[in-house]
Amino acid sequence: MVQENKSLEIERNIGDFAYPETHTHDAGIGLTEKTIHYISDVKQDPDWVREFRLKAYRTFLSKPMPTHWASRDLEAIVFDNIRYYLSGGIQPKRTWEEVPDDVKRTFERLGIPEQERKFLAGVEAQFDSEAVYSNIKKAVGEQGVIFVGSADGLKEHPEIFRKWFGKVIPTGDNKFSALNSAVFSGGSFIYVPPGVKVKHPLQAYFRINAENFGQFERTLIICDEGSELTYMEGCTAPKFNTATLHSAVVELVAMKGAKIQYITVQNWSNNVFNLVTKRGLAHEEAEVKWIDCNIGSRLTMKYPGVVMKGRKARGEVISIALAGDGQHQDTGAKMVHAADETTSNIISKSISIGTGRATYRGLVHVPKHLKNCKNNTECDALLINSHSRTDTYPAITVRGTGNAVQHEASVSQVSAEQIFYMQQRGLSKAQAMSLSVNGFVNDLVRQFPMEYSVELKRLIELEMEGSVG
Amino acid sequence: MSNPSALLEEIAETALAPGRILGGGAARNEDLPAWFREQQSAAWTEFQTLPMPALKDQAWRFSNVQALDLAPYTLPVSLSDRAERDLLERSTELSEIAGRLVFADDHFLERDVLSEKLRAAGVIFQPLERAMIEHEDLFRRHFMTQPATLGSAKFAALHQALVRSGTFLYVPRGIEVELPLETFHWLHSENVAIFPHTLLVAEEFSKVTLVEHFRSADRSRAGFSCGVNDLVVGPGAKVNYVCTQDWSDRALGIQINATTVARDASAFNLYLNLGGKFSRLESLSRLIGEGGRSDMLAVSVGDGAQEFDARTLQDHACAHTYSDLLFKNALYDRARTTFGGLIRVEPHAHFTDAYQKVRNLLLSDDAEANSMPGLEILADNVKCSHGATSGQLDEEQMFYLLARGISAAVARELLVGGFLTEVLERLPAPALIVRLEELIADKFARRSR
Amino acid sequence: MAHSGLSFESDMQELIIQDLHVSIADQEIIRGLSLSVPRGEVHAIMGPNGSGKSTLAKVLAGHPDYIVTAGSVTMDGENILELEPDERARRGLFLAFQYPSEIPGVTIANFLRAAVQSRMPEGEELEATDYYAQLYKKMDLLEMDRSFTSRSVNEGFSGGEKKRNEILQMALLEPKYAVLDETDSGLDIDALKVVSKGVNSLRGPDLGVLLITHYQRLLNYIVPDRVHVMVRGRIEMSGGKDLALQLEEKGYDWVKDDIDEPTLA
Repeated sequence: MVQENKSLEIERNIGDFAYPETHTHDAGIGLTEKTIHYISDVKQDPDWVREFRLKAYRTFLSKPMPTHWASRDLEAIVFDNIRYYLSGGIQPKRTWEEVPDDVKRTFERLGIPEQERKFLAGVEAQFDSEAVYSNIKKAVGEQGVIFVGSADGLKEHPEIFRKWFGKVIPTGDNKFSALNSAVFSGGSFIYVPPGVKVKHPLQAYFRINAENFGQFERTLIICDEGSELTYMEGCTAPKFNTATLHSAVVELVAMKGAKIQYITVQNWSNNVFNLVTKRGLAHEEAEVKWIDCNIGSRLTMKYPGVVMKGRKARGEVISIALAGDGQHQDTGAKMVHAADETTSNIISKSISIGTGRATYRGLVHVPKHLKNCKNNTECDALLINSHSRTDTYPAITVRGTGNAVQHEASVSQVSAEQIFYMQQRGLSKAQAMSLSVNGFVNDLVRQFPMEYSVELKRLIELEMEGSVG
Repeated sequence: MSNPSALLEEIAETALAPGRILGGGAARNEDLPAWFREQQSAAWTEFQTLPMPALKDQAWRFSNVQALDLAPYTLPVSLSDRAERDLLERSTELSEIAGRLVFADDHFLERDVLSEKLRAAGVIFQPLERAMIEHEDLFRRHFMTQPATLGSAKFAALHQALVRSGTFLYVPRGIEVELPLETFHWLHSENVAIFPHTLLVAEEFSKVTLVEHFRSADRSRAGFSCGVNDLVVGPGAKVNYVCTQDWSDRALGIQINATTVARDASAFNLYLNLGGKFSRLESLSRLIGEGGRSDMLAVSVGDGAQEFDARTLQDHACAHTYSDLLFKNALYDRARTTFGGLIRVEPHAHFTDAYQKVRNLLLSDDAEANSMPGLEILADNVKCSHGATSGQLDEEQMFYLLARGISAAVARELLVGGFLTEVLERLPAPALIVRLEELIADKFARRSR
Repeated sequence: MAHSGLSFESDMQELIIQDLHVSIADQEIIRGLSLSVPRGEVHAIMGPNGSGKSTLAKVLAGHPDYIVTAGSVTMDGENILELEPDERARRGLFLAFQYPSEIPGVTIANFLRAAVQSRMPEGEELEATDYYAQLYKKMDLLEMDRSFTSRSVNEGFSGGEKKRNEILQMALLEPKYAVLDETDSGLDIDALKVVSKGVNSLRGPDLGVLLITHYQRLLNYIVPDRVHVMVRGRIEMSGGKDLALQLEEKGYDWVKDDIDEPTLA
């Protein structure tokens, strides 16, 4: 068993390395209006973006920390110690040959197989805060799909970009969306034309590679009428000694009949504050589905939402959270029903291990005079050993006679008898535990694309190996 | 006090002259013991210090905090003999009881005597103002010992500052009171403010049922009730507590409950909410001994612009404890409910079973239900679940009844009644269930008029 | 029954329990039990409720709730009391549980695969096709439907299905010693026949079986080589298969009466 741990440990450390920092653009530490101007200058922002950033900066200053309901751990963030902008000073590359060698090495250490890179429809990898590599499969481009960095998106496609940017998530939605709006860099802009169904998932890898460095990517995805897209986002980060802030904003717009599926596997190192705002707008008969898996970070606060604005729109959040020692996964979902016959579904499963804490916060809003809206929420928590903690705080508002909302939550644990039974069949304690835990999340893991679900299972196993004596 | 001044005016004056509540110009509680009036004075200071609830307070999320404007309410004056006689006549709910206390506008009117047998056994059932003198030690040991933690600390302070009557019920070790005890609190004068208090102490292996009725003398009059009921359930004791609230639809009601459940004890709380413009219940069950069990039940029927606001905490402070909460709301017209409930399993409270279920029946397009069921689990080997549903009457069931020739109105009433009965049926007292069902039927009848 | 370190290897092919004392929460449940089951034989343990039969089964498998205060248990000469439950299992001890655990979300196929894999040398991967071929063969023997493998382990199983699942696992894992704890409880006669057929088909020179049962009827289908009667944490009587019939006729009181021990007054 010891050998097994060892071989897994090596994989575990894959994300734990850093390269010499060779950043040519660096906004320094701390945040002032000067920082905003610096970012706008380097990025050669159009005037409206500069204005947008400055306004957002003022909103950020005026907003209090949400500690009246959220974890006090947020107070550990010192905004003055954070580096808000860092760029490799290199433009996004299209071919593999043009990618800098140390970036290639990063991918290798991450273990992304060669054939997978080729298979991927398009790779948008964020190295530090600038997109350094993007490889859009020819076919996707031919279909008229735009897949670029957000900086290029706002310059090259202002007519689409401006129309939706900041509309799904207003700057002042919360303190961290305001912060992102002030200093955003990186992230993706995707536009899928009417009727186009993108076969392969588009994918992005994000990495942080500088100490005390926050990452503020901004992603905007618009699927025009009847189109379909799956987007995958995964992150690993090198480990640092001091806290790191990751605060992204992701906006999705599904026009009539469009379908967007957004998949995230988050595995930041345990010093990262991961405070992310994600929301989708679903028009008539459109569907927005968030599949969200949180394994890493020190504190994650993330409640993907769907505003169902058109008749028969559908929203779904599938969420898995694993809170290991010292971690707090504060996750959930927001479902805002704003039209008749809209349906939403939330399934959340969390596992708390050791001193880990998993919190579910949910909001389901069905306002007046809507007909035949339905929500179903299930949240299940699994506790492993007596220091772990789980909380559930949903908020559900329903009005009117045509609507039905159902919320169920349960808490359970892997029982000693269950572990003994499996041990009697020859499995080690850790294997037994990992099998039980995988069993608990199995039905959700199946919703992830193959390569992610395998990775996910492995990540869960790794967490379990460390947690059982 | 010949002219009732507006409560807040008086409050302003007393702020300048703190002696007033203690027996100054208001002369309100000068008959009460000095130690008690000192506590009231301290509570008054606390009331003034604490901020008014705001919507952004998590404990008041979704609540209509504007309804909490206290400016119109005045402290009560004594009632006319005729009014007293009238209210006494109307103070009958249960046919078989072991004793009864009646209060109107915070004045103690009458007591139906306990049987000689119960008195000899040491059972105490008397108004607060007598208990604090005759049983000072016992009273002081338990009076207002649980802080209000579910949002109404300010109102608890107001209550303590201005309380002047209520019920003290003490059941000694091993005594079982078979028949229920009953109390009435009447809101009588227009815009009167009352502060009903109930302190129930059940010693080891005792057993008692207390049924309280909150009523308005006139359904057209406004008023404010700010009540506290504390139940202390000793080891192995069994307490059933039922509160039927049927204020006028112009009244503001805040009720703060704390129930403490010791080893192998069982507490059973049921709140029936029918009246009030805005009525809030804060109910805390603390399970502090192994084998303790708490059942928390509520039924609310709202219509017009009524609002029911409930905040609960099932606090498991000890291993091997059990709690089960079931709240059901039937909402007509523009009625609104908010439920904010938490199951908290404290560290080391292993082997806890805790359940929480809220079900809302929305019977009109404007009815609104807000649910915030919550879980905080800090222990292991727990079985906890919560569920919140909001929906409508089952169309198939409706159709089935209509097909039997039952009119739509009656069919609806039957189905709503059935929906609510599931809660009432958990009461371990069949006679009481019947009476509660009648009260609900009265509300339906009022609606159809 | 004295075993010295000089015994021949053939002598070592035995499960030997010597003077075993077991407590749970300060209460002694097994009070000096000795027994040995050679490979190739089926031994039945019978006894009234509360005699400690099921405790014995769990202790052999290493359940953490029980404390062994004295005595030894060796399997083919190796002391197993110091081993973790999974180490005992991998060395060839199998327990068919009286109340098998439900494991939500874990399919039988995955579970058994993990169990078979755990018995393979480090670095060797189980071949999926071989595994399924094996599994299906055993399932046919126990008249089990193929769809069975995609169900979660024991979740929502009937009593009969649970017991069949236990025997299936035994068949697949090929233990050296199997302890069957009340395998007949909760079975109707048809299910009993199927389960018995499964056990009988596994009998052979390499397998020792300890059959724990309250009722004699199981022994009509699985005929034991030896029968032991357990009362109050000890083997009080041993004999051939006829002993079971005698018990059926005379009841356990007969054994109790037969024990002339002052403490049992």
